[in-house]
Amino acid sequence: MKQQVLIGKNLSLGYGIGNQQKVVLSNLDFELSSGQLTCLLGPNGVGKSTLIKAIMGKMEPFSGSIDLFGASPSSYHRDDLSKKLSVVLSEPIFPAQMTVEQLVALGRTPYLSWSGRLSEQDKKEVSLALEATKIDYLRQERLGELSDGQRQKAMIARALAQNCPLMVLDEPTSHLDLVNRYEVMQLLQEIAKTQNKAVLVVTHDLDIAIETGQQLWILNCGSPLIFGTPEDLILQGEINHLLPDDQYFFDSKRGKVVLRHQISSIQVEGPEELVYWVKKALVKSGKPIPKDSIIISEKPFRIFCEGKEFTLISEFIQHL
Amino acid sequence: MKSNRTSYLFLACLFLLGVLFLLNLSLGSVKIGFSEILEGIFTDHWERASYREIILNFRLPKALVAILVGIGLSLSGLQMQTFFRNPLAGPYVLGISSGAGFGVAILILAGSALGFTMGGVSPWSTAFAGIFGAGSILLLVSVVAWRVRDSMTLLIVGVMFGATVSALISVMAYFSQAESLKLYTIWSLGSLGGLGWYQVVILAVLILIGAIPVLASTRSFNALLLGESYAESMGINSLRLRWLVIISTGILAGGITAFCGPIAFVGIAVPHLARLIWKSPDHRVLFPGSALVGAGLLLLCDTISQLPGSAQTLPINAVTSLVGAPVVIGLVIKRNFSKEF
Repeated sequence: MKQQVLIGKNLSLGYGIGNQQKVVLSNLDFELSSGQLTCLLGPNGVGKSTLIKAIMGKMEPFSGSIDLFGASPSSYHRDDLSKKLSVVLSEPIFPAQMTVEQLVALGRTPYLSWSGRLSEQDKKEVSLALEATKIDYLRQERLGELSDGQRQKAMIARALAQNCPLMVLDEPTSHLDLVNRYEVMQLLQEIAKTQNKAVLVVTHDLDIAIETGQQLWILNCGSPLIFGTPEDLILQGEINHLLPDDQYFFDSKRGKVVLRHQISSIQVEGPEELVYWVKKALVKSGKPIPKDSIIISEKPFRIFCEGKEFTLISEFIQHL
Repeated sequence: MKSNRTSYLFLACLFLLGVLFLLNLSLGSVKIGFSEILEGIFTDHWERASYREIILNFRLPKALVAILVGIGLSLSGLQMQTFFRNPLAGPYVLGISSGAGFGVAILILAGSALGFTMGGVSPWSTAFAGIFGAGSILLLVSVVAWRVRDSMTLLIVGVMFGATVSALISVMAYFSQAESLKLYTIWSLGSLGGLGWYQVVILAVLILIGAIPVLASTRSFNALLLGESYAESMGINSLRLRWLVIISTGILAGGITAFCGPIAFVGIAVPHLARLIWKSPDHRVLFPGSALVGAGLLLLCDTISQLPGSAQTLPINAVTSLVGAPVVIGLVIKRNFSKEF
C-alpha cells in the first residue's frame, strides 16, 4: 500500500537578499512514497539543504508547491508538523551525559504535556524504536561513551520514536566508517519497508545509495531534479549527471564511478579481473605507458612486460 | 531502579536542607540549641525574650532569604546554561547584575558626586534602584533578542552590555566621595540579612513568579538539550522560550540582586553540582535538584559567614566563592567536567 506522502510541483526555492531574490533551485518536481527509502544526491552547494529546509517548512517557495499530506509544510502548526515529519540533522549535537533511552524518549516530546512525563504508551514507543534500530542493548549507555555509528543509530531511534510518516535525514552517514555506513542505510531501508514510512536521506555515498535506495533524487546545478529507481537511472545513463566532469563516468558493469582516461587504450592481455586492476594502477601512477604489450598470468600471478617478470603490481609500476 | 536512586537522593538532600536550616538558625554570635528553636517556633515559648527577637526578626528571615536566593539563582543559572548550551553561562551573563549595580551606583555614587540625595540609602531605595537598573539592561537585551536569530549572538551582546555598564560604574566610582564609595562597595559585597518580613514576602513572590513559567516549560528545556533546530522539529516554539528565559531570569536574578546585592558563583556552579549528584541531564530532575542544592549551599555559606561564636560577619558574596570554588574545582578535576555537561 504505497501512499504519496510528499509531492513537489514546479518548485522554485531561494533566499531573498534585500529586494533581490536569489533563486537556488528551480522547476523541481518530485514525489515521495511511503515504504520507500529515497536518497537525495548532488554536489556540495547545489541546494540540498535548501530543499530540506523547505520540506521542513522553514522556508516558503518562490513559486510552485510542496504538498505534505495535502498541505504545505510551512502552513502546518508546529505541533501538527512535528507529528508528520521527524528529522536527523547533520550537526553532531548531543549531551554526553544523556542515556540512549533518554535521548530516544525526547522523540516523544510532541506528545507530552508541559512536565515531559512519559506515559505507558510513550514508554512502549521508546522500546519499539530501540528494538527497530537494534540498539536495545545500549539502553542505559551514555551518549558520550558510544561510537559514532551507535550514536547515529540512537539519533535514528529518536526520530523513529517521534512516530512520523516521513523521516528526513541530512547526511546521516558522513562521519561513519564503511561498515557503519552500510549498516545505517540498511537499517533505514528496513524501517521504511517494515513500518511503511517514507524516508528521505541526503547522502554523498553513490555506491551505498544505489545498493540500498529504492528511489534516487539527483540534483544538479541548473538542471531539473532527476528521479527514478537507481537501476533505471544507471541503464539510462542519467547517473552520469552527478559527474559533471567528462573525466569520470559511471561504469554500469561494475556499478561504480571510474576515470574515463585512456583506460581502454592500454594494451593488456590476460584474465579480465586482473587486467582491470593492473590498468587501474597504471593510470593512477601517471607513469608512461610501455610500448611493449603487457601480459598477465593467473595462478601464479605474474606480469610480463619488456622481457621482465613481476610478481606484484607495485614492482611493475616501479620498474616503469 | 534508577528512579529509586533519584528519589533517595532527593530525600537525602531534603533532610540535609532541614539540618542546614536549623544549623543556620542555631549558630551565630549567640548559640541557640535546636530544641529551643523548635519549641520557640511551634509553641511561642522562648527560654529568653532576646532569643525570640533574634530568631524571629533576624535569623529566620535571613535563613528564608538564603533559601529563596539559592533557589532563584540556581534555577536561572540552569535555564541559561541549557538555553545557551554553554557550561559557563549563569544568571548574570546577560548583564543583569551589572545593570542592578548601575542602578544602585546612580543612587549612591552619582548622588554624592552631583550633590543630591534620593531620600537616603535604605533597603527599599537600593532595591528599587537595583530593579530599575536590571530592568533597563533587560530592556536593551530584549531589543537585541528581538532582532537577532542566533542565541550565541545574544550571549555576546549581553556580556558586552555588562562590560559597558561596569565601565560606567567605574567612572562614577572614580568621581565619588570615599563615604559613598564605601557604601556602594558594601552593597556590591552582597548581604542576605537586613531585610524585614515585608521585603522577604516580596522576594518570595518574585521568585515564585520567576520560577513557575520555567518549571512549566520543563518539556521544552529537555528538547532544547539537542539544540534549537531539533527542538523546533519536535514542535517547540524556541522564540517564545527565549522570551521566557529572558523575562524569568530578569525577575529572578534582577529581584535577588536588587534586594541582596550581587551574589556570585551560585548560579553557575549549582546546576553543575546537581548534574554531578543526579547524573542526569533531565530537567524534571535538574530543576528541583538545583533548587535544593542551591538553597542548601547558600544556607551553608551564610552559616559560615556568621563566623559562629564571634560578633563579626564576612560578606556573603566572598563566602560563596571561597567555599564553592574549591568544591567545584575538586569535582571538576576528579571527573571529566566537559563530558558531564
